[in-house]
Amino acid sequence: MFYMYLPIAGNSVNILLILGLGGFVGLLSGIFGVGGGFLMTPLLMMFGIPPTVAAASDSNQIVGASTSGTLAHMRHGNVDIAMGVMLLIGGIAGGTVGVQIIKLLRAIGGADFLIAITYVIMLGGVGGYMFWESLQSMKKSKTTTAEAKMSAGEQKPTKKSLLQMLPLQYKFEKSGCHISMLLPLGFGILVGILAAIMGVGGGFIMVPVMVYLLRMPMHVVVGTSLFQILFTCINVTVMQAYSNKTVDFVLAVLLLLGSTIGAQVGTSIGKKLKADQLKIMLASLVLLVCAKMMAGLLMTPTIMVALKGGH
Amino acid sequence: MYTEKNIMKRVVYGLLTVVLVSLAWFNSSMAAEGPLLLELAKTNIKISTFYNGTTLDVAGSLPADEDVVVQLSGPKKDVHLKEKGKVAGFLWMNKTDVSLENTPAVYMVYTPTGSTADKFLNPDLGVGYQALVKDITSNPESADKTFIFGEYVKLMEKSGVYAINEGTVKYGEPNDGMKSFIITLTIPSKMSAGTYKVAALAMKDGVVTSRVTEDLTLELSGLPAAISSMAYGRPLLFGFMAVFIAVGAGLLVGVLFRGGGGAH
Repeated sequence: MFYMYLPIAGNSVNILLILGLGGFVGLLSGIFGVGGGFLMTPLLMMFGIPPTVAAASDSNQIVGASTSGTLAHMRHGNVDIAMGVMLLIGGIAGGTVGVQIIKLLRAIGGADFLIAITYVIMLGGVGGYMFWESLQSMKKSKTTTAEAKMSAGEQKPTKKSLLQMLPLQYKFEKSGCHISMLLPLGFGILVGILAAIMGVGGGFIMVPVMVYLLRMPMHVVVGTSLFQILFTCINVTVMQAYSNKTVDFVLAVLLLLGSTIGAQVGTSIGKKLKADQLKIMLASLVLLVCAKMMAGLLMTPTIMVALKGGH
Repeated sequence: MYTEKNIMKRVVYGLLTVVLVSLAWFNSSMAAEGPLLLELAKTNIKISTFYNGTTLDVAGSLPADEDVVVQLSGPKKDVHLKEKGKVAGFLWMNKTDVSLENTPAVYMVYTPTGSTADKFLNPDLGVGYQALVKDITSNPESADKTFIFGEYVKLMEKSGVYAINEGTVKYGEPNDGMKSFIITLTIPSKMSAGTYKVAALAMKDGVVTSRVTEDLTLELSGLPAAISSMAYGRPLLFGFMAVFIAVGAGLLVGVLFRGGGGAH
């Protein structure tokens, strides 16, 4: 009774299950500013959706969730459009380069190895650093705040002098920084390359880049990340539908019914949390996915073949 | 007079033709069916919006001293797989490309009550997974076909499109040297649109005595059919429509939430 047939995936799914899944991932997306593809795709595969259809339909769903999330964050003044556009341009350029790298590696072999290693290193490194850093700063905030201010003040001048040497200086008001436009562009390219190699939207790499390398306030990071993800996923959806015919519209609609609402709820939850709490929660999530990935690589599989097209 | 004679002639020829055609039809239908009869409750299944797989009742009759095995098998296709292997000595990854050509998309066997399935699962009888292996070719040919197919069977059993259902075909009381059989086939939602074959194989003393096959068609209808034809027929338009609807839904929910919140 609560089942619906997915014509492109070629399978039926429980409507309530998919709505719930969409809601849960949308919630995470609203709180942390990540697309959630690194969680959604494996979960959909568990429910019998082919990997290629799961990834493509998920990017269609993220378009809905990030529209809803970006709108909510814009109302709170948490989207730095100029910064988002620079990251986006870099991301698209990097993505194109990354796709070519993968094509080349597939031809000469070893692509799967590179993908898996990139996954584990990125998830482990990013998650581990974020976890450690936010734990330290939570401890620090308990001690005298004056000390923390001192050390921050000492670091800033050296960093600024280095960055100020770059051309195209611009004041990113919402992010509260005066830096060269080349900086977000460069980071965008880097994230784009990594995201293309790993086959993900890259939100969970982009967020730490904005927090630690661009030194943006956490809440602006979330809003700006969602803004950037929205455009990345529009591009991916159209490309997947056109060249691979893997977008299952019924699946995407079911997911986005849940996720658009989840994203709104997530935004208001995120607003109530402190930046360190947000960071440590996202770090735990990323580490959890990393641990699962590691287990998959180390344990002897029960079935020695897999359908081509998945990770 | 001439015309009357002519009419009579025509009537006689006509009657003769009817009798001959009927005789020929009667003979041929008897020959095709033999003592084994197979009937499907329906031969066409529509996949509509809320479809979640279905069941299909199958009935028939056969000589009382024989056994029957019912097989449901699907269109043959080439399957592209990745064989897992160790990289750098300790990491399990999808390593080598292997294709299995001429592999059925669906394969389900239903064996009768009263005997173990092993009695019927025999490549010589054309029943069971082992029987499929000989028709399959692997690419590259050097690959261990039997092992790869065995692993592929595990994967397909997990998704419900391959199955050996032991002791599921039920017999009626023997009557006049014949007995009836019934079985309800599972049609999983993962079985995609296409033409499948339902076969009944009558067996005695380890030999197939007769075989009857009926076609079963699964086709998309309504919303799934419309979406599928658009996705494959007009992919670019479909992509833009998907994005447009997603953005629309996101905006709508965003606006609704603001309305509900009342603030800002």
